[in-house]
Amino acid sequence: MSQVFHEIEKKIIVSLKDNPKQTPESLEKSTQLSPDQIRRGIEWLRLKELAIVNESKSSMISLGKNGIESLQKGLPERRLLDLLKNGPKKLSDLQKELGFVFGPSIGLARKNNWVEASGDEIILKNSPSELPGEKTLKLIGNEKLPKDKIDLDDLSGLLKRPDFIIEDVLKTQEISLAESAKTLTLSNSVGGIDVEAKVPEVFVARTHPLKDTIDEIREIFVTLGFSEILGNMTQSSFWNFDALFTPQDHPARELQDTFYLDRINAKKIGTPEQIRKVSDSHKKNWRYQWDINEARKMVLRTHTTCVTIKHLAENKPDEARIFSLGRVFRNEKVSYKHLVEFNQIEGVVVGKDANLRNLMGIQREFYKRIGITKIKFWPTFFPYTEPSLQTMVYNEKLGKWIELFGMGIFRPEVTKPLGITKPVLAWGGGIERIAMLKYDLDDVREFYNNNLGWLRSATKCQ
Amino acid sequence: MPVVELSYSRLQKLVGKVSKKQISDFLPFLGLDIESEDKDLIRIEYSPNRPDYSTDFGIALGLQGLLGIKTGAVKLNVKKSNKYSISVKPAVSKIRPFVTGIVAKNGKIDDKTIKQLMTMQEDLHFGIGRKRKKSSIGIHDLDKISFPLVYTTANRNHKFIPLNSEKEITISEILANTDVGKDYGSLLGQSSQVPLILDNDQNTVSFPPIINAAITTVTTKTKNLFVEVTGINKEDAEDMLAVVATILQSAGFTLESVKISGAKNSSPKLDHRKLIVNSSLINQTLGLDLKIPKIISCLKKSRLDASSKGTNIVCTIPGYRFDIFGPMDLVEEVALGYGIQNLEPTISPSQTIGEINSISLQLKSLDKTMIGLGYLEALNSSLTSKRVLYDMTNRDSTKIISVLDSKSQEHTILRDSILPGLLENLSKNIHESYPQKMFETGTVFVTDNPITEKINFSAISAHKDANFTEIKSIIQSALNIGFGIKVETKTSAHPTFEKGHCASVILNNIPIGIIGKIDSKIIENYKIRVPVVGFEISLSESILKN
Repeated sequence: MSQVFHEIEKKIIVSLKDNPKQTPESLEKSTQLSPDQIRRGIEWLRLKELAIVNESKSSMISLGKNGIESLQKGLPERRLLDLLKNGPKKLSDLQKELGFVFGPSIGLARKNNWVEASGDEIILKNSPSELPGEKTLKLIGNEKLPKDKIDLDDLSGLLKRPDFIIEDVLKTQEISLAESAKTLTLSNSVGGIDVEAKVPEVFVARTHPLKDTIDEIREIFVTLGFSEILGNMTQSSFWNFDALFTPQDHPARELQDTFYLDRINAKKIGTPEQIRKVSDSHKKNWRYQWDINEARKMVLRTHTTCVTIKHLAENKPDEARIFSLGRVFRNEKVSYKHLVEFNQIEGVVVGKDANLRNLMGIQREFYKRIGITKIKFWPTFFPYTEPSLQTMVYNEKLGKWIELFGMGIFRPEVTKPLGITKPVLAWGGGIERIAMLKYDLDDVREFYNNNLGWLRSATKCQ
Repeated sequence: MPVVELSYSRLQKLVGKVSKKQISDFLPFLGLDIESEDKDLIRIEYSPNRPDYSTDFGIALGLQGLLGIKTGAVKLNVKKSNKYSISVKPAVSKIRPFVTGIVAKNGKIDDKTIKQLMTMQEDLHFGIGRKRKKSSIGIHDLDKISFPLVYTTANRNHKFIPLNSEKEITISEILANTDVGKDYGSLLGQSSQVPLILDNDQNTVSFPPIINAAITTVTTKTKNLFVEVTGINKEDAEDMLAVVATILQSAGFTLESVKISGAKNSSPKLDHRKLIVNSSLINQTLGLDLKIPKIISCLKKSRLDASSKGTNIVCTIPGYRFDIFGPMDLVEEVALGYGIQNLEPTISPSQTIGEINSISLQLKSLDKTMIGLGYLEALNSSLTSKRVLYDMTNRDSTKIISVLDSKSQEHTILRDSILPGLLENLSKNIHESYPQKMFETGTVFVTDNPITEKINFSAISAHKDANFTEIKSIIQSALNIGFGIKVETKTSAHPTFEKGHCASVILNNIPIGIIGKIDSKIIENYKIRVPVVGFEISLSESILKN
């Protein structure tokens, strides 16, 4: 199939076949195209590597205002010498006759020993038949000449004088056909366009890649029968810690791990019964003085578990599948693997027959749906679940097992004080980690940099 | 999570008849993560609720059980002795009321054993000791002490040579000049009296919970040990002692009792506890159908003792396993003894129908509309900085909500607005091609008895022809298509926006946000070279429906 050319390109190619080396101006004449059409046509052919464009620079020389005056009246120093031909003259007379070129012409003539001063008179000593510059002045005349046609030594003196010489730098292009173009056959089909040409890049408007992962995970849990609940990011310590059997003197509750809000305390943290029973459970099992003021301290939730436990305590369902999804916070140094704020999903199953193998089954199903099939379970520890497990998934790229979601069955010390009577299976974990696998990122911070270069181009790899 | 460093070869000796591979295969199923390994050395992460795993002696006990080499509860054999006693003076009762202790004899102490005991001590101090507040341990060379001891108080001018020191210094100097003194001195409050253990020759043995005396330092030449634990309650002190006693016995020491008396103190019992769990709870929770003998053998593999009484299992729990609160903890012990790797996941059909929350659905529909309008979604942190939120945009910062002691300067304040973050994003993208159009929906925080969380929606457009008309068209289309509502704009002023190019966004006569051209000074400060228009409205009150 022959390549399709624009009419402009065709005309240029034809002209260059007849006359192999041309300037844009000569192409204009031979093709009857406008300068702009020629410019575009040459550029298209150059990008397709069908035309070769050699650019060269040249200077054109013509006379300026004072140059033209000297061409007509002679150089100022010639006028001086001519005035002295018939004997010495007084300075004042010369000044009158020569006007403003008097000074420079006397200076030049004395320097070259053509004249000498005697008292207030100037005497001619020697009058050369051709002064420097005179030859060039005549050569240029009223024309525009290429600089390389001129004796540069003779020109140099004139260049120094104001408004004598005008120098125009011209860029000239010489266009010729590339070898591959010389044998081209030009089809006569009309209206075709170059479908192989490069086009400008356009940017898609899209949802954030992390949000796409969040939506995908949300959909998976909905199809597995789970309903979404929402909750606040700011929580009382009571729901974030106490209700989850984390003692008030536990290291995890310290300032260095948790964000406490400055001088903000919750007024109402739970029903009097919830507070009494939760604090009793702490006193009995952890043996310390439980302090309600500690429970009132507001924190940025460290997990979404506080949202699900609050929901369960308020609704006490006998049978339920719910999940909560959102931002959680840790007071950590930001690095390529740690953020202070990230997304977590947390799900629970309530039911009299809910058991650990079901919990593992739900995990396996979830991972399968996000494309992870190589998984295993290890025992682990969380303060609020017993038994507790973690999922390990195999990462092909890293060649090792990495930890994803944690899970377990809520401890009776958690559920009983809140009046939850049926077993509660719970699991949760960070979403960024999964999104990093999906988008092949090594630096988790990229999700929150809003770097347009990345947002406009990020593609899923899994 | 705490980490302990140990060696395969030492562990193999302690466990007996086990390959290196078996060890690395089975460690995770004890709940221990291998953090890294280098030839013979392994670093293991363990859970803070299992301080017995802070030494290779404790880990070996666990591995023996899981591998079936030695099963059942570890029994402490404490020889009753009259030689060792501590009498407690009532003066300690207001400061650190309880002391307990044990003697461990004829052990072999090499460098590695000392290192393991140190790690254990550190972990016990940090974890169940709650940074020495609840309880703390001192381990001493028994042969440097003359019994009986007295647990009493002294004033702050009392002098002795503390550990790692060569000269006698006062309590006040210890608290002011040593690292441990500075770290833990506050536990003693302002009291002029401090707790002290003195021996029969009036030598200082220990200044709990701060430091031991130099004279009783344990070295590789030490044969016999004296361990004391002090604390604010008796149970915690004895729990800690139980861990140390179990580890020392496993390390080859023979234990002898220490008599404690006076001021509500008594000798430690270091007893086993009994706890009953019903086999049906075990099977229901794990989704298994285990027969009683199998359950008993699983518990034994977890180093507990068990016998049956009908469908009930009576468990014997050694003192060092104080992480076991009730029957559910025993269910986990059965699961571990059974082997988590042997539990086959099952999927049971859902009895419920899943639903996306209606707020999420509405926001998703808005996202789609904005994308149709050519806007890219951005995500910014809720926790941001005063610079981004207020300084760069001239906004009023009187109702700032900040967090305490953030480790990151860029994350100290909860956002009350989304738009400043988007402007910051534009400033980081000035080298990218224009037009740049972005939007974000997200939570903002408002102080309100104590705090209200709302969902806001903001968008910005930056390019050489950006103008008010364009952004007003966008908000009207977005809200009309997204929610079927119509908003108007009414002349207004706002420090972030250019005078005369700023309006309130009005819905049913109520202002819900602000729209306009961003003030040129702000754009300039951000080094953005094109005009920027934008808006931010609250969706929570009048647009989103629950």
